[in-house]
Amino acid sequence: MTLDIRNLGELYGKVSVGDQTSLGIMGNNRDVSVGEIFMIYSHRDGHERVFFFRVLALQNYLRQVDDMARVAGTLMVEGDAYLSGIQRNMLLQVGGKMLGYAELEKGKWVFRSPRRLPDHLADVYRPVPNVSDEAVRKMLASQTDGEVFIGNLQVGEATLDVPVKIPSKYLPMHMGIFGSTGSGKSNLMMVLIKSILDSNLEASRNPNEKRPRISAFCIDPHDEFAKGVTACGIQDIVEAMDQETRASVIGDFYYLTTHLKATPREIQRYGREIRILWEEILPHDLYTIMDFTPQMVSFIDGQYAANRESWISAITDMKDDPEGTPKGTLNAVQRRLRFIERSPIFIRSGSSILSDVFVAMETGRVLVVNTSLMSDTEQFLLTTVIARTVSDLRRAAKSSGTLGDFESQGAIRLPGPFFNRIKARAKSFYSAGGQSDESGVRDPRDMPVILVTVEEAPSILNPELMRGQSVFKDLSRQGRKFNIGLIVVSQQVSVLDNVILSQMNTEVNLRLGNEREIQACIENASVNISGFEDEFRVMARGEAIVTASYRELPLPVRIPLFDTLFERDKSRYKASKATRASEKHTF
Amino acid sequence: MLERILTDDFRGKLKLTFRDIENQQDRSDEKEFAKDEVRIREELLDTVTPHASDDTLDEDYLIAAVDGSGSGDLMTLDDVRVHLLSTSTVVLDTNTRAGDPFRPLDRATLENAFGRAQPFLDCHWHSGVRGDARTKMADSLAEIYPLKDSDALVLPFFRDIMKRQLKSMSDLSGTNYGAYTSSLGTMESLITREQMLTNPAVHDELRTASEYAAARIVLTSSIQPKYLLLDGAMSIFMHQARQYPSMPSGFMLRELCSLAREKHVVLCAVSKNHTIPFAHRIARMAQEAFGEGSKWFCLLPGSEDPGGGLYIYQDRTYIPPRLAVPYLFSFSMDNRPSRIDFDRIWWLENVFVQDDPSKTRENEKALFQEIEFMSRDARWYGYPVALALAHEECKLSYEDLRLAREVAGDVRHELGLDPRRTTPYREDFNL
Repeated sequence: MTLDIRNLGELYGKVSVGDQTSLGIMGNNRDVSVGEIFMIYSHRDGHERVFFFRVLALQNYLRQVDDMARVAGTLMVEGDAYLSGIQRNMLLQVGGKMLGYAELEKGKWVFRSPRRLPDHLADVYRPVPNVSDEAVRKMLASQTDGEVFIGNLQVGEATLDVPVKIPSKYLPMHMGIFGSTGSGKSNLMMVLIKSILDSNLEASRNPNEKRPRISAFCIDPHDEFAKGVTACGIQDIVEAMDQETRASVIGDFYYLTTHLKATPREIQRYGREIRILWEEILPHDLYTIMDFTPQMVSFIDGQYAANRESWISAITDMKDDPEGTPKGTLNAVQRRLRFIERSPIFIRSGSSILSDVFVAMETGRVLVVNTSLMSDTEQFLLTTVIARTVSDLRRAAKSSGTLGDFESQGAIRLPGPFFNRIKARAKSFYSAGGQSDESGVRDPRDMPVILVTVEEAPSILNPELMRGQSVFKDLSRQGRKFNIGLIVVSQQVSVLDNVILSQMNTEVNLRLGNEREIQACIENASVNISGFEDEFRVMARGEAIVTASYRELPLPVRIPLFDTLFERDKSRYKASKATRASEKHTF
Repeated sequence: MLERILTDDFRGKLKLTFRDIENQQDRSDEKEFAKDEVRIREELLDTVTPHASDDTLDEDYLIAAVDGSGSGDLMTLDDVRVHLLSTSTVVLDTNTRAGDPFRPLDRATLENAFGRAQPFLDCHWHSGVRGDARTKMADSLAEIYPLKDSDALVLPFFRDIMKRQLKSMSDLSGTNYGAYTSSLGTMESLITREQMLTNPAVHDELRTASEYAAARIVLTSSIQPKYLLLDGAMSIFMHQARQYPSMPSGFMLRELCSLAREKHVVLCAVSKNHTIPFAHRIARMAQEAFGEGSKWFCLLPGSEDPGGGLYIYQDRTYIPPRLAVPYLFSFSMDNRPSRIDFDRIWWLENVFVQDDPSKTRENEKALFQEIEFMSRDARWYGYPVALALAHEECKLSYEDLRLAREVAGDVRHELGLDPRRTTPYREDFNL
C-alpha cells in the first residue's frame, strides 16, 4: 500500500457498471453536480491505481422502488403517506466519463489515458477541499505542472488547491481561448499576463534554474488590463514591484496605446504611443488582413518590387493607373490603403515603436496593447506587423549559421530601414557568443518564448483570408521552430480556419454561446471531450475546460479573479533583502 | 402460441368457461351473499378512524414483521433436492415523537438481538425415497424450529382448541385426543400427510417452518414489539380423523400464538391474495356506505361468534381458519381488499367483549387504527410497511438464484465432489 486512501476524500459510492470509457456509480444521496471529479481506488491484480471519473449525468435512485412516478403520485394523492427508512435507500446513480488513471511507476506518479477498468465494486471517493488537494496534486502532477498558471482544478462546484499550469515549452504550439461575452476572457487574459510576469520574475530571481523568459504582445480591446476590470490591474503589479524587479521584469514600458496623453498619469509613466512607419509594413501584412483580387496583388507586388519600403507612399501618391494595370486597380488599392493614411498609428514618417517592441519581445517582457481606440483593421494590421516582424527575425536567425549570415538573411526578409535600425541589437540577442560576423547564432528555442495574441480572431483567421498569403498561416505551422506562439482569442470556434485549429495544442474552453460553438469546441479539442456537452451548458463565468494535446486529461479549471490573486501575491513583487543578496551572489 | 391465443376459438372457450362459473358458482353464491348483505353492512363492516399524519403517539412502539422466500430446487442431485430458504425480519419504530415515522431498526441491532444474520439464508436437503422422505423432513423441521421439546410444541394447540389448561401430554388422556398421544412425541410422528409429501409440499412446509422460526426468535429476543406480522393466513391443515394439525407447522403456529400472548405481542398474518368470496362486493358496499377512498374493515365471523358464520363461506371450511379470526380490510381505494388473521384466543381476550358489540367495535377500531397507521408507506400504500420491507429483503430473484446455484457448484468443486451441473434441467435443452 503506497497511497493513504483517506487523503482521497470522502468515501462516496461504488462502481456499478460500465466499461473503460464510461462508468456508472451508485453513490450516496449527496449534493453532487455535473462536472465533479471522483476518484476510484482500484487494486486489481496487485496494481494500485486511482482512476479519475467525471460526472456527466445524475439520476435519483430509490432502492426497493421500481416505479418512482407511482410513489411520487401516491405521496401527492395520499396526503398522509410517508416513506419508512427511505433515507438509507435514497441513492444517486451517477453516470460519467472515465478520464484516465494515475499509477506509481518507479516512485513517480504517471497519468494514463483510460485503457483499463477499475476493480469490481471499487470504492469511489469524492475529493474534499483541504483534504484531497495534496494527493490530487501529486497524482496529477504530469497533467497540471508548468510555468504559466491559469487556474485551479475544479471538482464540480468546489475547487481544489491544485494549480493548473501550462508548460512554457508548449506555448509556441499555440493556444486558443474560446468563450462567449461574459465568460471571463478578460479576467483570464489578466491572470495569464500576471502568470507570465510571475514566471519571468522567477526566472530573473533564479537565473541558474534556466527557466525560460516569456514575452507577450497582448491586445487589450477594452483597455482594461492595465487599470483592471474591478479593483486591480497590471499597473498594480508594476507599482508593487521594487525598482530593481521592475527594471528586470517590466523594463521601461509595458503599456502601448494610440493616445498616450489620454492615459492616466501613473500608467503614462510606463506607456508608449503606438506608431508604425509605413515603410515597416509589407504587402504580405495587408494580404493577411483583407481580401485583394489577383490584379490588386499583382499591382501591389509590382509597386513593392519597384519602390521597396516606400511602396505605400508610392501607391497613395499615384494619380493614374500605371500602364499595363487594369483600369480601376489603383483606385481599389488606394481605397483599401486609405485606413493607413487616416490612421494615427501608421505614419509616413516619424518615430516608430516597432524596434522597442522587438527588443521587448526578445528580452522576455509583456506588452499590454490598448486597441480600444483603433479600428478593427488597424488592430489587425498592427498585430500582423508585429507577428511577422518577430517571426521574420527569428526565421532569419534560425536559417543562419553565423551572425554574418543573419545580417544577409534579415536584409532579405525585413524592410531595410527597420532592419538597419535593429540589426545590432538583434545580433546581440541572437549571438551564441561574440559579435563578429563569424560568431554562431543561438537556437530560437533557447530564446524567450514570444506570444502574440490575436483578438477577434475570426476576422483574420477565417478560411477566406487563410487561403491566401496569411502571416498567421505560416506562424501557426512553423511558430514552434522559432519559439513563437499565438494566443487566439475568439467568441466562436466554428468560424476559425481549420489550419489554425489543427495547429492549436492548448485550448482553454470557457462558457460558449450556443450549441454550434459547443460542438465545434468539442470537435476541435486536443483530447477527446465528447460527452461534455451538458457541462458546457452549465458552465459559470470563469470556469473552463482546458484541453491539451500533450496531456491525457481534460482539466476543468476555475480561473480565480485577478484581484484575488494579486492580493495574495503582491508581497512577492518586492524583492526581500535575502533575495537581493542571493541575486548579487549569483551574478 | 400467439396465433392460437388471438383466435375466436380461444375467445369462445373462455366465454364457455366464464358462463359455466357464472351458472354454477356465482349464482348460488349470489343468493348466499344476498342473505349476508344486511348483516355485513350493519354489523360487520366499519370505517377506520385514521391517525392524523402529524399525530404523535402517547407511546411509540415497535412493529416486527417476518417474511420468507425460497426455492425447492437450488440443486437437484438425482432424487435429492437441495432447498434454499430465506427469511427476513424487519422491525420498525413508530417513532412519531422524533418526527421520522416508522424508522427501521438498523441491521446490526437486529442481528445482535436475534443472533443471526439478516436476511437469513439457510439450506436443507430432502430425499424423495419412500420412508426417508418423512424422516429427512422431520430432521430438517427439527433443525429449523428453535423449540426442541415436542411436548411444548404440541400442547399449545390442544390447550387452545380444548380451552383447557394442560400441563403435560398425560392431561390429554381421557379426551378425544388421548388415543393419539403416542403419535405426538416426535417431529416425524407429527407428519401425518406422508403420502402427500410432494416436492412443492415439502418446500412449503420447510419454508413455513423457517418463517415461524424467525418469528419465534423475535418473540424470545430482547426486541419487544407490540405487533408481529406474518405473511399469509393463520390457516392450519387438520387431520380429518384426528382433528389436529396434519403437519408440524400447524403446531408451530399455535405455539407461536401462545408465546405471543405470553409476551403481550399482537400476532397477526396479512395476505393480499386471499380466498374470501365476494370480497369485491364487500369493498363496493364499503365504498357506497362510507364514500370513495374510505378506509374500512370487515369482520368475517365464525360459527362460534354471535350471529354465526356468513352464508358466503359456509361451505368453505377453511374460512375462518381454526383458532383464527379473519378480517377483510382496505386502506386504499386503488387496491383490492386484503385479509388479516388474528389468533382467536388473543382476540377473545383483547378485542371481543361478550354481550357488548359496541365495546367490541371500539376495540376493533382501535386495532385497525394502528394497522392502518403502519400501512401508509407511499411505496406500498395500504399494506403494512414492515411486511413489505421484509418481503423486499427476503425475496430471491431469478438472478439471486442463478448466483446461488453457481456458488453451490463451486462448493461441490471445492469439496472434490462429483461435479454436477447446477442449472435447472430444462436449460440443458434451452427450454
